[in-house]
Amino acid sequence: MSVEVPVKATGMTQPLDSTAASKDTPHPVAMQVKGLNFYYGTSHALHDISLDFPERSVTGMIGPSGCGKSTLLRVLNRMYDLYPGQRATGEVIFDKQNILNSGVDLNVLRSRIGMVFQKPTPFPMSIYDNIAFGIRLHERVSRSEMDGRVEDALRRVALWPEVQDRLSASATALSGGQQQRLCIARTIAVRPEVILLDEPTSALDPVSTARIEELLDELKTEFTIAIVTHNMQQAARCADQVAFFYMGRLIEVDSTARMFTTPREQQTQDYITGRFG
Amino acid sequence: MKANNTLMRADRSASLLWRRHMCDKLATAMSWLGMLIVVFMLGSILWTLFKNGLAGMSVHLFTMSMAAPGQPGGLANAIMGSIIQTGLAILIGAPAGLMTGIYLAEYGTTSRMARIVRFVSDMLLSAPSILIGLFIYMMLVVPFGHFSGLSGAVALAILAMPIVVRTTEDMLRLVPVAMREAGIALGAPKWRVILFICVRAVRAGIMTGVLLAIARVAGETAPLLFTSLGNSEWSLDLGRPMASLPVAIYQYAGSAYQDWMQQAWTGALLVTLGVLIINIVVRVGTRGGRS
Repeated sequence: MSVEVPVKATGMTQPLDSTAASKDTPHPVAMQVKGLNFYYGTSHALHDISLDFPERSVTGMIGPSGCGKSTLLRVLNRMYDLYPGQRATGEVIFDKQNILNSGVDLNVLRSRIGMVFQKPTPFPMSIYDNIAFGIRLHERVSRSEMDGRVEDALRRVALWPEVQDRLSASATALSGGQQQRLCIARTIAVRPEVILLDEPTSALDPVSTARIEELLDELKTEFTIAIVTHNMQQAARCADQVAFFYMGRLIEVDSTARMFTTPREQQTQDYITGRFG
Repeated sequence: MKANNTLMRADRSASLLWRRHMCDKLATAMSWLGMLIVVFMLGSILWTLFKNGLAGMSVHLFTMSMAAPGQPGGLANAIMGSIIQTGLAILIGAPAGLMTGIYLAEYGTTSRMARIVRFVSDMLLSAPSILIGLFIYMMLVVPFGHFSGLSGAVALAILAMPIVVRTTEDMLRLVPVAMREAGIALGAPKWRVILFICVRAVRAGIMTGVLLAIARVAGETAPLLFTSLGNSEWSLDLGRPMASLPVAIYQYAGSAYQDWMQQAWTGALLVTLGVLIINIVVRVGTRGGRS
């Protein structure tokens, strides 16, 4: 596996080609943000954002620190609800519903829209239980079925061969990259439709990063993916469409190929060529 | 030290380096001194206990109840009474303390109610234990008209609770926000995240708090004087006066009889050893993060 890594890490052209191909067959929209405004107390963090997340494709969200990309991600699974004083107005349509409505069952919503964080967050329990925890929350499954689900999730993230002999060992003993793959496995084990990733590789070494990026390519055949990243090469490699944020505004969104070759906005051009940010 | 001299750059102040070096040495020496004083005191206590207590160790001590001076007797009823009352106190105090700690750290946080509870709990932590004894005397002894093991256990529970409250709250505050959010992000309700992720993450710390509480209440005498009173007979009835090691030690140590005084020393040694053993067992048990 490590043999593929250098190719993957430097080869920007190949994923660009694949995005061009997928552009021909437009995906239906899985999630639609319309006129979204977000406030941290009185500070207005997101201004009138409208953005479509096409089904079974990767939407990359880029922009300098504090531009609101992570904030937007945390609106999509209502994570901001944990903190009083944070509020959103506008619409986020998912499965024909505005998920910003107060009547939405947040636990069910979060089982359908999973999230992976910047720092790996294994729970203080065994590798097996880390995966089983999420499944048990939403489903009643037999022991043998659970074994199958856990194995399947771990295989999907290519972690199975590394941990199959020590499923009962503590998850905190895994390496950072393994922990992050475990967190992704934990998320997909719940069988969500959308996966939100908040800079999932910024705490990882290049080899682990490449493995996660490879994984995204596979996962997008089944899940709708939104990924926040500081790394423009990563956006170019992984994303089908890229959204550029600046100071709480969505400046531009387009297919990855066009975004990195012929952006329409000067600010986008400046950012992706490294003139600021 | 050698590096300081040989690697000295001409443009850096030698006196500054020297001063820092000396400060470092001084602080290290003070730390050592402090540590030595504490270890000396602990060692001295243990040594005295062993020297005076070991002589009274016998099978009788564990098999016979307390007896009049000059009669063959042991501390069996006091040992049993201490185990029962301390155990019951922890069974009552630890869950109550745990739940209060969870409330303070996870639900109340900065609310007015939480601030009041926190203040009261910290007051209890430093309240004279005899006051707790008097309080329970008024609540559980006077209304029923007699002393009882149960009232002793409740008095000890009130002493144990604030210790567990404080450690639980402090420990839960150490759980990273990211771990909570990860649980919430899977669709787990808040209570499940708290119980199965946060509390699990700091269970060793919480256990330490419970241990501290056991250690604290196992040696308490004052709150028992007005509640379980002490009993020279073998009795497992929680509704009647119950013996305990600290009260037996208190009673025996203040007497003029040689054999009682010997048993007081041995009883003190037993309490100390008991606390020590519980500490070691739980420390070994909670070592590592295996589930």
